Amino acid sequence: MEIKVLEKGDKNMRLLIKGVDTPFVNALRRNALAEVPCMAIDDVVIIENSSVLQDEIVAHRLGLIPLKTDLDGYNLPEECSCKSEFGCNLCRVTLTLDREAKEGTVTVYSGELVSENPNIVPVSDKVPITKLVKGQKLRLEAYARLGKGKNHAKWQPVSTCTYKYLPQIKIDSKNCDACGKCVEICPRKVLEKSEGKIEIRDLPACTLCQDCMDACPKEPSAIEVGWEENAFIFSLESTGVLPPERIMEEAVKILEKQLKELASQIKVRKT
Amino acid sequence: MEDGGGKMKVNVLNKTENELKIELEGAGHTLCNLLQKKLLEDETVDLAGYDIPHPLASNPILYVRTKGDVKPEEALHRAVEKILELSKEFSKELKKALKT
Ligand code: SF4
Ligand code: SF4
Ligand SMILES: [Zn+2]
Repeated sequence: MEIKVLEKGDKNMRLLIKGVDTPFVNALRRNALAEVPCMAIDDVVIIENSSVLQDEIVAHRLGLIPLKTDLDGYNLPEECSCKSEFGCNLCRVTLTLDREAKEGTVTVYSGELVSENPNIVPVSDKVPITKLVKGQKLRLEAYARLGKGKNHAKWQPVSTCTYKYLPQIKIDSKNCDACGKCVEICPRKVLEKSEGKIEIRDLPACTLCQDCMDACPKEPSAIEVGWEENAFIFSLESTGVLPPERIMEEAVKILEKQLKELASQIKVRKT
Repeated sequence: MEDGGGKMKVNVLNKTENELKIELEGAGHTLCNLLQKKLLEDETVDLAGYDIPHPLASNPILYVRTKGDVKPEEALHRAVEKILELSKEFSKELKKALKT
């Protein structure tokens, strides 16, 4: 097995994974999407809302604001020792919002939510919640908790999580006359022509569309696109709630936990 | 049904000398697809498959049939252990890759 980081930013990550099979990377992808928990607002107590949006819509919009998550400091409410429906300090974070339009029309942004924990705040301050005209008020208390993407998309820590086979491009140098048709047609600029030869500029960008093979005037095509068995390019883009590498690590951890639980349930009787 | 924080639970639906049909409460495609693949790689396994009768309202049903006198639960246990090993190796490699 071999893993290489192709790209890593504070929100996105691209890995080259060799030596695992499709069901395994798929399990990681599914876990990153549906099982890795993150924070989102789940209950809202509206104290006053004279905006044009109904309470339900405001609550829904609040729920969809990505919140920076602290996985080590908080428990999933269903696993928390408090066993309380209202939650405790270890499974719930309170955020408040108090805004009145004193002059003209104002937009209320996510950045105006005041959190009791300075680490659990909106990823972006610029998510509009609603607009208020002069005299309108929005006052509320919101409770955020950890949850899982399988129950609601607001608890999904990733915006995209995909994998694809590692492309393999072979150019038959004897057959190729460097006409450049394949370079021209490639939508991802994978190929380039240099010194009368076709070279691969950016292999991971290839989408395996095989347009270059069709465009090649040679018969049979001088360029051949295929993919490597058991080698994948895994891309993950976090919504900002957690660093991408943490999401990946959690996805593996959760898979291990699921497998251990299953193993403990299978009793093997020796005969 | 992969809901809530519920723990995984195995219910045996049918069991003979070399056949096993189980319901996996709290599991889904994530695990079953992996298990099926690993079971099929096992020489002693004759047949392995799973089905989720209803995407929302049911748990996956996994079926294993083995050849000769290998117990199906043994094959299943082996498959789980194999994937566990793989994921341990993966997490080690991931840590290594992230460090550099
Ligand atoms: S398969 Fe498509 S993306 Fe890949 S090199 Fe050919 S034209 Fe470009
Ligand atoms: S289209 Fe075919 S012949 Fe022309 S440069 Fe590409 S591979 Fe060579
Ligand atoms: Zn609690």
